[in-house]
Amino acid sequence: MTTKDKLKNILIEELNIEDITAAEIGDDEPLFGEGLGLDSLDAVELVVLVQKHFGIEIKDMEEGRAALQSIATLAAYIDERHTA
Amino acid sequence: MKLDIAISGIGVVGGFGCGRQALASALRSGKSPRSKASFMTPDGPAELPAYLADTAQLERFVPKRELRRIDHFSRMAMLGSFLALEDGGMLDADRSRLGVVIATGYGATRTTFSFLDSVISGGDALASPTHFSSSVHNAAAAHTSILLKATGPSLTVSQFEMSVPSALLTACLWLEEERVDAVLFGGVDECGELLHYCWQRFIPGTGADQPMCPLDFEHQSAVAGEGAAFLLLTRAAGAAAPYGRICQVQQGNVVGGALELPGDAVLFLGADGHRECGAAYREFSGAASLSAYTPLYGSLPVGPAFDLAVAALSCREDQLFPAPCGGSRSLGTQPEALAGRSICCLKFGTEGDFGLIRVEK
Amino acid sequence: MMRHLPVAVTGLGCLCAAGATLPDCMATLFAGRRQPKAPTLFTTGHAVTYPVFEAPLAEPESAELLRTSRLALVAAAEALADAGWTADALRGRRVGVCLGTTVGSTTSDEGFCRELRAGRHPDLAPMKRILKSNPARSLAREFGFSGPCQTIVNACSSGTDAVGQGAAWIRAGLCDLVLAGGADELGRVTYNGFTSLMITDESPVKPFDKNRRGLNLGEGAGILVLESEALRRERSKAACGFVLGYGSACDAHHLTAPHPEGLGLKRALAEALQCSGLTADELAFVNAHGTGTPDNDRVESRVLSEVLPQVPFLSTKGYTGHTLGAAGGIEAVFTLACLEQGRIPANVGFSEPDPELPATPVREVTAVSGQAALSESLAFGGNNAVLVLGKGES
Repeated sequence: MTTKDKLKNILIEELNIEDITAAEIGDDEPLFGEGLGLDSLDAVELVVLVQKHFGIEIKDMEEGRAALQSIATLAAYIDERHTA
Repeated sequence: MKLDIAISGIGVVGGFGCGRQALASALRSGKSPRSKASFMTPDGPAELPAYLADTAQLERFVPKRELRRIDHFSRMAMLGSFLALEDGGMLDADRSRLGVVIATGYGATRTTFSFLDSVISGGDALASPTHFSSSVHNAAAAHTSILLKATGPSLTVSQFEMSVPSALLTACLWLEEERVDAVLFGGVDECGELLHYCWQRFIPGTGADQPMCPLDFEHQSAVAGEGAAFLLLTRAAGAAAPYGRICQVQQGNVVGGALELPGDAVLFLGADGHRECGAAYREFSGAASLSAYTPLYGSLPVGPAFDLAVAALSCREDQLFPAPCGGSRSLGTQPEALAGRSICCLKFGTEGDFGLIRVEK
Repeated sequence: MMRHLPVAVTGLGCLCAAGATLPDCMATLFAGRRQPKAPTLFTTGHAVTYPVFEAPLAEPESAELLRTSRLALVAAAEALADAGWTADALRGRRVGVCLGTTVGSTTSDEGFCRELRAGRHPDLAPMKRILKSNPARSLAREFGFSGPCQTIVNACSSGTDAVGQGAAWIRAGLCDLVLAGGADELGRVTYNGFTSLMITDESPVKPFDKNRRGLNLGEGAGILVLESEALRRERSKAACGFVLGYGSACDAHHLTAPHPEGLGLKRALAEALQCSGLTADELAFVNAHGTGTPDNDRVESRVLSEVLPQVPFLSTKGYTGHTLGAAGGIEAVFTLACLEQGRIPANVGFSEPDPELPATPVREVTAVSGQAALSESLAFGGNNAVLVLGKGES
């Protein structure tokens, strides 16, 4: 499974977004606000989930903000650090 | 202090079901379905009888998406709130001067356990911020205020068995001081793995599926319960109070002076089948009219909120409901006219603490 | 909304990282001293150590009560002594206890749950301790009080709400005397919780500063003795302050973030001022919530610049850390002590103004004149609570 697909499943299962499927989440869809409708509390939960599932630490929200734009940006952030 | 607070709506969810009608039919039949609560112990899986609450009806009021982060504890409180507003005909009313006061003995114990679990299983770095913020005691009041857009004051009180009388004192003062025009007042407590495990440890030998006999003070017969009982409160000010009025709320300790009860009042005892607490109630067992409805909703710290709901229903129907099995000394098996009497809900806590709520038609 | 009669404060007590007594705390504040340190009360497994403000209260080998209650007992004893009361002299009086706290005393004990998860039957002692440690009940038991007892769990505004509610009991004639305030202990639950929310600073907290990165946790207790006029007359006791007004309102916006315009805070401020009968120009200063988190300080600064543009303000959290449910109690006590001294300490930790913030706090010890001041708290769940406090008679 690609990092993107993994992330989509994590979103649905661990943030309890039960009314959509992984396939319905666009790679570039904004996670927050108008897009998926996540908020600041989901953002910090995502930071913990990324650490839990990928072993990658997002140290603060300044760093996090760029990574947490969309599934694509977050997957890129994770993959960069995995291969580094 | 003489109060004049009208009860204008009831919202209840518990072992007996969901809504005022469910409570009324449990009162008429004297029966409430019991479930089995399963939980893990170091000795393997275990079960205890319990009165459990189902919050499925919440989806009638709130889109599922908005509930994704909201735990069972807050859901019970929100369902109680919506039902009370609906019952009081205020579901669509302006809520800018609506206050929210919630009483809870133990708070969101399941989520608290989940938060600790996230730390225990994953280490400190994997502590879940969502569980943490939902485990804070006022999370239910916060979720309720947010979903209802209730922008008045919001307060949560946690005083174990005294939570309901203590919090009700505050709700009534808010109305008396005209801080708000209405208060959604409720009690909520939940069952869960940790509670059941502790229950088993503290009360060895518990677990037999026997009826609760709250007025048999020598006998341990408590069964755990969970749920929410909410009331919509307004200033009576001479206006009609379909569910009666709260005219007295008193919280104190018997060490500081004897508890005085109006002679002609009907007593609803908060006795809930715990032998240790039974002694405190014994001296009132000679009261002319006496009942305990705990066998319909179980043993939980905010039990007095359910008694208050029963008192409100009794005022509405101008009759006393027959007490369920083992819950009555003087009430018969048929409904009995209230006949102008007031109802006193009396709850004892530990060390002589008591809370008294008096309701009259 | 009703105009409130003033409720007299006759005694104050405080215990926190700034000092073991109120005079010690005030000396620390006016000296501009602070010593946040790595936690010693518990161990943590985070890569980074977030400094905390521990109160000077030794942990015994085995304690009968939770630390929150023990902190409350120390501050309550100081407040009662300051008021000239002993527990015996109060027998037969209607004495209530109204205390704020947060997650310091839930039915959670990490050690207990760890044992259970490891498949062992845990010792029941921690649960028994929890059942004995309701903070308001602990004070009532210790001093033999038999009036109303209320533990308010409104997260970080609990202490402020408790003082406002306690004053209402006196006004309503329910009590002759009320112990009101807040208490909270430091522990792993809050430390891990706030760290997970990513709102704790790795360095000493910098309220309202451009480079603020979050809060430091603290602990302690702040208690006020509120007394009825009738009881005060009996013993010709001068008041060391007054509760003049209280307001509270919910943002009804978000579980953990304040409303961006501070709508709830504005309503709470308006209510508190209205029931005190005072106007903005009569306020000597504002003891702000000022946790040092980016969101809180932004919203608070905006609201203060809009509603109370000329009134100097400060956060004392640079000296105490964020003591959560105790904060409202501790800060009400500080506010009254500052009114009495006619000066406020510097907002320690503030050095560089943030262009995003329209108002900045005082940078040095500042003389203030005026008979009243505000103490405000913002909390999880969108709660906002504000007290208007008046100068004493002495």
